[in-house]
Amino acid sequence: MASQPGESGLSIRDVGMVYRRGEQVTTALVGCSLEIPEGNWASLIGASGCGKSTLLRILADIVRPTSGTALVGGVTPAEARAARTFALVSQQSTMLPWRKILANVELGLEVAGVDKVERKRRAEEAIELVGLKGFEQAFPSELSGGMRQRAAIARALTLKPRFLLMDEPFGALDEITREKLNFELLRILKETSATLLLVTHSISEAIILSDTVAVMSPRPGRISHVVDIGFGHERTGAMRDDPQFGAYESELRHALHGPAGAPRPMATPSPSHALA
Amino acid sequence: MSSITVPDLAADAAGGSEPGTGPAGIPWGLVLPPVLFVVALVALWAVLSAAGLIPRYILPAPGAVLNEFTRNYAVLARHAAYTSGEAVAGFIIGNAAAVLMAIVFSYSGLLKAAFYPFALISRAIPIVAFTPLLVIVLGRGLPPVIAVVAIAVYFPAFLNMMRGLASADVDYHEMLHTLSASRWQRLKMVDLPASMPYLFAALKVSASVAFICAIVAEWIGANVGLGYLVVISGQYFKLPTLWAAIIVAAVLTLLLLALVVLAERALRRWTAAPGEI
Ligand SMILES: Nc1ncnc2c1ncn2[C@@H]1O[C@H](COP(=O)(O)OP(=O)(O)O)[C@@H](O)[C@H]1O
Ligand SMILES: [Mg+2]
Repeated sequence: MASQPGESGLSIRDVGMVYRRGEQVTTALVGCSLEIPEGNWASLIGASGCGKSTLLRILADIVRPTSGTALVGGVTPAEARAARTFALVSQQSTMLPWRKILANVELGLEVAGVDKVERKRRAEEAIELVGLKGFEQAFPSELSGGMRQRAAIARALTLKPRFLLMDEPFGALDEITREKLNFELLRILKETSATLLLVTHSISEAIILSDTVAVMSPRPGRISHVVDIGFGHERTGAMRDDPQFGAYESELRHALHGPAGAPRPMATPSPSHALA
Repeated sequence: MSSITVPDLAADAAGGSEPGTGPAGIPWGLVLPPVLFVVALVALWAVLSAAGLIPRYILPAPGAVLNEFTRNYAVLARHAAYTSGEAVAGFIIGNAAAVLMAIVFSYSGLLKAAFYPFALISRAIPIVAFTPLLVIVLGRGLPPVIAVVAIAVYFPAFLNMMRGLASADVDYHEMLHTLSASRWQRLKMVDLPASMPYLFAALKVSASVAFICAIVAEWIGANVGLGYLVVISGQYFKLPTLWAAIIVAAVLTLLLLALVVLAERALRRWTAAPGEI
């Protein structure tokens, strides 16, 4: 592996991705580059279809990029997967319908060969953390979409991954649960000093959860803007009231909707955006 | 959710009883009508027989058939034991082979491509028609009968199992892939559980196919069993024996079907319910 010093985080270098399905050719990513140092929290935001999931799936070794390199902890995604250094929470909470929630949350540990007692202990701990205590013996079909998503997060947490890759994990949740889980996740990240790469379409969620927010623009997908969020790692709900929060928000909104002059209904950001 | 089509699912999921389900979990609303229908039918049969409206050489009186069960109990039991043994042995051998081969084939695209079309065509071939050939190869007696049953139940199970093993959502495979699961773990944790509803759909059909094939094969290939008994009693106009043999065959078929349904319920914890895939 061509590993360079200080290169233990997530690294995306000039990555391009072209999907070919028969006649149909889709250029999903072009020249994407992003460096996320180990221990940092980063978010990807962008319109749907601009390649956010593709980028995450490249890092998770589900698809191979057609050009460029992706590194997870200094090694290829395939090596990182074999070493089990990352966990992916995918956009659709993949719960096996024939397993109860406890068994679903245990799945990662079971695959990794962790013994029964230990995996039950760790699964129950993670279930409590995401607020699903009491639902261990329920089947996924008996839970709401948001609860299944939390179970998927719990499954990722049991693995104590160095890198946590999350694809719109809170998309199916209501605002209140969402913010509660945002801060729950921050606490877990600090405890485990994991590196986070989160895909979200919520600007405020991106700010709350990140040191770095990367904005992607569509067709073809590329990283058009990177905003550093200087809030440090001590974060509370009060950060939303910080004037700086609103400034980041409008900066990201501008970046997301293109430069001035591009057609968009609201040209000037107003404080009411903080409510969005 | 309709309690007619999936009575067991709803009760299992809710962990309790639903309307129409007794305290022991027996859905009386489903059991009672057919039982009453059979009772009415037998009553009609008795009345028509007593009135002399049904010729004795076609359908003897219910009393005569009932009498056959008590008088000829040992003979019926002996032949029933042979037929059950053949049907169940063939059922197990054929289905086990089907499941194993489907697993192997699902790993090998080449094997699948080579064999799958023939498995599909096999549905058009009346397997029992091969009995004379199998008798030549295996001799008279149990082996050809078991072979006919095994081959007949093999194909539906194989085809359904192939479909079932390929039925799991690609999202599940991706998830196991990111968890670095082995092929064996993927089979055990996703593909096999996902295939069970497909397998059991085949097993429920095969349960009756097994007995029908065993009986028909016995006409040609054996001198023992319910099929043999039916042929012999027909030739000697022993109509009560013939009808008793038919009733025994029907009851045995239902018993095997009940075993399949019980097995499916017992496995439900580890498999996909039909509505969930
Ligand atoms: N497996 C695939 N085959 C073909 N095209 C795909 C595939 N996955 C994604 N795409 C295409 O790539 C583009 C980016 O998709 P995706 O990464 O899912 O975007 P996002 O997550 O930002 O919504 C879209 O145009 C999508 O249609
Ligand atoms: Mg996506």
